[in-house]
Amino acid sequence: MTKFSFLRCALLDLTVVSALILGGCAASNTEQQVATYEEEFNDPLENVNRKIFDFNQFVDRNAIVPVAKAYRAALPDPVRDSLRDFLNNLREPLVFVNDTLQGQFKRAGETMGRFVINSTIGIGGVVDVAGRWGVPYHEEDLGLTLGAWGVPEGPYLVVPILGPSTPRDLGGQVAEGFGDPWNNIVTGNPWTLYWIPFVRGGVSGIDTRSRYIETLADIERTSLDYYATIRSLYRQRRTALIRHEQEENLPPKAGFTRREDRGTPSTVARSAVGPGVVSEH
Amino acid sequence: MLRRSVLTAAFAILVGVLAPALPAAAAADPAAMISTLGSRALEVLGKGATQAQRTERFRELLREDFDVPGIARFVLGRYWNTATEEQRAEYVKLFEDYIAMAYATRLAEYTGETFKVTGSRPDADGAIVSSQIVRPGGAAPVKVDWRLTGRNGVYKISDVAVDGISMAVTQRSEFASVIQHNGGQVQGLITMLRQKTSGNGAR
Repeated sequence: MTKFSFLRCALLDLTVVSALILGGCAASNTEQQVATYEEEFNDPLENVNRKIFDFNQFVDRNAIVPVAKAYRAALPDPVRDSLRDFLNNLREPLVFVNDTLQGQFKRAGETMGRFVINSTIGIGGVVDVAGRWGVPYHEEDLGLTLGAWGVPEGPYLVVPILGPSTPRDLGGQVAEGFGDPWNNIVTGNPWTLYWIPFVRGGVSGIDTRSRYIETLADIERTSLDYYATIRSLYRQRRTALIRHEQEENLPPKAGFTRREDRGTPSTVARSAVGPGVVSEH
Repeated sequence: MLRRSVLTAAFAILVGVLAPALPAAAAADPAAMISTLGSRALEVLGKGATQAQRTERFRELLREDFDVPGIARFVLGRYWNTATEEQRAEYVKLFEDYIAMAYATRLAEYTGETFKVTGSRPDADGAIVSSQIVRPGGAAPVKVDWRLTGRNGVYKISDVAVDGISMAVTQRSEFASVIQHNGGQVQGLITMLRQKTSGNGAR
């Protein structure tokens, strides 16, 4: 499960909803060039996004966080960690596929090794044996693979309940919902247990949320514009995941121009000609 | 993951800021400077400290080791040019207050983890130092990268990125949004910063 997506798996089967959202993004592409700041943030649907964000916050405060707190209080640390390891292990087949699609064969090999070791010695994935041996879990999904292939992320989206996304990431998520082997097993003949992917998504979402209760509350409390902060965090994190860890994971130094422009009149005048044009990206 | 990153981003900044600065070491070697910062921070980080103590300690370290005016200016981006001298001066002061307030409150969660510097390389303006926060239970370590600007042999931190999330970029994006929702006026940001840092806004 990737970061912000709450109940991510659950949505995967809600294709109607997804199609509506994707349709919505497609329509919005034409509006993208309207205003300068919309280009900067690439958030042409900001007004709608903010309303959905507020809705998500309402649900988060009144339902998700209370459940996450109860979950955290009810189960001891090791149990929750085992559950997280188990859920991560279920992700490994798709992580492997994405590693391979990206041509990251070393990572694909690590993922394969993790899956075999944790599924056997790690008792079906409840113990992250491979992690203890120095091969930690790494995240991959189809949105990241598309990004690695050069597909642009598209405009920022806030999806009801699931939170921050982009057409690329949401599309990847939907496709993975169909491609997930476990979902296919439990919903195919003879099982047809359609509720299981939803439960998996729900548990994963609650577990993830339970790990960030204080952190997110604090960021919300101290932010001047929580929506804008989350938007930036989501984008940066996805971009960093696509970059993997080539050397250091520091964003390019765009805009760090103060060495030459310590407020001397000439540089101020020069940068006033094209303020932010170069430095914004 | 993103939430984890948010958490750890806060941590990285806090680690850097909390530790007592050692200017002599800093001047000689950026890697040693960050190493000292990180290790000392883990000692200093205690749940015992009060909120006010953390904020104050934090502010001192911001001043010691971070290029606060430079970061403040970067974060304001193109709006720096439209701000008056008075606005700039007030903004830089409020920025320091705001960072001290916002990041100091995220301190208490980060005790008992191991910090280590993994690499350092020269960069156009100074150096980039890579480090890791090693976590228990086989989880992937958190990557923390520091951008340092060197001037006359003295290094100051100009950005910190945790798992690829940059504090300066995040703050810049947020402030730009605030300004644009205030009709493009820097004064709108200044007013909000005043409210947030005055105590009642921070709640």
